[in-house]
Amino acid sequence: MFLTRSEYDRGVNTFSPEGRLFQVEYAIEAIKLGSTAIGIQTSEGVVLAVEKRVTSPLLDPTSIEKIMELDSHIGCAMSGLTADARTLVDKARVETQNHRFTYDEPMTVESCTQAICDYALQFGEEGAPMSRPFGVALLVAGVDEYGPSLFHTDPSGTFVKYEAKAIGAGSEGAQTALQESYSSSMTLAEAEVLALSTLKQVMEEKLDNKNVELASVRSSDAKFKIYSTAELEAVIERL
Amino acid sequence: MEASLEIPKGGFSFDLCKRNAWLESQANYGSSSIIKKAKKTGTTIAGIIFKDGVVLGADTRATSGPIVADKNCEKIHYLAPNIFCCGAGTSADCENVTEMMASNLTLHRLNTGRECRVITAVTMLSQYLFRYQGYISAALVVGGVDSTGPSLYTIHPHGSVDQLPFVTMGSGSLAAMAVFEAGYQEGLERQPGIDLVRAAIQSGIDNDLGSGSNVDITVITPEGVQRFRNLDKAEPKYKSKNPLFYPKGTTKYYDEIISKVAIIEGDAMEQ
Amino acid sequence: MQAPQLPTSQVEQPKESRFSPYQNNGGTCLALAGADFCIIAADSRLSLGYSILSRNTPKVAQLTTKTCIASSGCNADMVTLQKYLKFKIQMYLHQHGKEMSTPAVAQMLATTLYHRRFFPYYTFNIVGGLDQNGEGCVFSYDAIGCFERLKYTVSGSGHALIEPFLDNLVAYKNTDNKPTIERSCDETLELVKDIFSSAGERDIYTGDFVDIYIIDKNGTRYEQFPLKKD
Repeated sequence: MFLTRSEYDRGVNTFSPEGRLFQVEYAIEAIKLGSTAIGIQTSEGVVLAVEKRVTSPLLDPTSIEKIMELDSHIGCAMSGLTADARTLVDKARVETQNHRFTYDEPMTVESCTQAICDYALQFGEEGAPMSRPFGVALLVAGVDEYGPSLFHTDPSGTFVKYEAKAIGAGSEGAQTALQESYSSSMTLAEAEVLALSTLKQVMEEKLDNKNVELASVRSSDAKFKIYSTAELEAVIERL
Repeated sequence: MEASLEIPKGGFSFDLCKRNAWLESQANYGSSSIIKKAKKTGTTIAGIIFKDGVVLGADTRATSGPIVADKNCEKIHYLAPNIFCCGAGTSADCENVTEMMASNLTLHRLNTGRECRVITAVTMLSQYLFRYQGYISAALVVGGVDSTGPSLYTIHPHGSVDQLPFVTMGSGSLAAMAVFEAGYQEGLERQPGIDLVRAAIQSGIDNDLGSGSNVDITVITPEGVQRFRNLDKAEPKYKSKNPLFYPKGTTKYYDEIISKVAIIEGDAMEQ
Repeated sequence: MQAPQLPTSQVEQPKESRFSPYQNNGGTCLALAGADFCIIAADSRLSLGYSILSRNTPKVAQLTTKTCIASSGCNADMVTLQKYLKFKIQMYLHQHGKEMSTPAVAQMLATTLYHRRFFPYYTFNIVGGLDQNGEGCVFSYDAIGCFERLKYTVSGSGHALIEPFLDNLVAYKNTDNKPTIERSCDETLELVKDIFSSAGERDIYTGDFVDIYIIDKNGTRYEQFPLKKD
């Protein structure tokens, strides 16, 4: 794809004659190096699951944080340069709080995703918060007045709504597996199992309660929750 | 109180200035104010001279700040059988000044055995108001017919006097004067004269928030005086389709005592 | 006791004149919420001192299909504030792809007013409409954004005349025997007309016409009711 390197891949704000922004495309490539993350939307809520790469037995896996809360009703999973995600998550947290302050209502998941993507595009020019594109993709999951929803954002600032989506290194295989097994009538409990079993398929290590993270937003209370070790174990037992 | 014990050497005495300043300063403490806000008649009053006499007119609204205190008060006051006076300003001042002047003019008639002249009333009023340096807040339109014919004056609260063929006073004076300037002619007949004053007062009622409700008219001619109370009436109040009704027991009461009352016939004072 | 002094007013005092950007153009606003409707109304007289500047200047504006605002105070500020709210509501529609709810408009107005805490809009606002559950709701404000959700409220020059009337007739604070049946929309509308015609009798700044907006599940209906012109 990028065999023909040219001068045009240097500037983040310069199109190539073929109409491409190489730095953005490279940023999208960076995500494919990241750990796998999966999101599944059901009528009962949305599930997020990520793989943690525990590269050393001396590493404390609890310090790897790849699912984060944006607001009480929205969470996100990330893949790629997770440090870049911090900036976006901070922005999303400010936006959702500001929306509550101004309108006395929770922000919709789509508006929150839109706000993230607006920010993700602000790179390059003088005074921008970032000199290069953000090298991270997010799965934004939440429950609002329209029900549960799942969005995928990438470094180009594009966002798309999904019923089930996998991102990161194992995304190709995982997405195929999701397409085969996903059903719009599945329960949240089934989605938890599907998320973990799909992760299991694409992970190099054996899946256990240390190297995955699981979270959900339930329709019933519209609350985002990261699963505790005990809750995670309970799901793993159902696999 | 040394100062007040001294015999004044002449000129004005300012003994009360300090007291007045203190009273004024107290007036700024809102509800605990010592000087109460007076009821003012933000008013339209007017008068013209027509062929045979004088027409005086007034609205009937009395206000206290932004609130209408009286929807049908009388602002055309009696001074003498041949002299009437419209008052604008503080209601109490207008009423008391005119009432006092009516008494003084009666005494004047008894002493002289002659009908009062309008200029006599005007001079007495103007001197009285001047003595109080504008603190008696009465703006007057005085009109009447005497041995010299019909005459019409205005007196300002400080005591200045104007004699004119058509005059207006009060907060609605501009609205009324606009009508006079457009429609006044010398030697008007009686009915057109009345109608012109009515229109002038109505203009004040419509366009000035300090004036409202009805039109009062008084016509003074050598033949006598005709007073028209509420010659033009404001449109009636909106009649509710659901009149208020409070059923018995709306107000809670804690005790009920019924006692028999004995009525003794006759005058109690006789005992 | 000191000897009396000559009054100080004989000496020319320095004069101070300050920038005074506000004026009060009078007028009365009223809103009543029912179980599934809301009536919001204001007279259309614009005045200054003892002068009537206009007999037909609306104080009520429709902001969304189920939200209206009524403002009294300084007319220039009212017009600007209402224009700004309409702009923000339109931007919200573009950004979030939905119409703003009445409580959201209410909160936004409060933040808008408080943003100008130290040079406020000289306006006294009422927001009325239906909430997300279709229930009638009314919000009452001060000039700097303190607000509260209520069942009824009144603001402006006729406030002191009308408020006790509503406490009695709507909240039944005078009695323990509250009627069991709530006032219907038509009865409430008649009450609004009664209230305004009564206030118009005694408040010199209330008169000419009442603009009435009736908001229910079918949308918003407008009615004009004449008052005395004096």
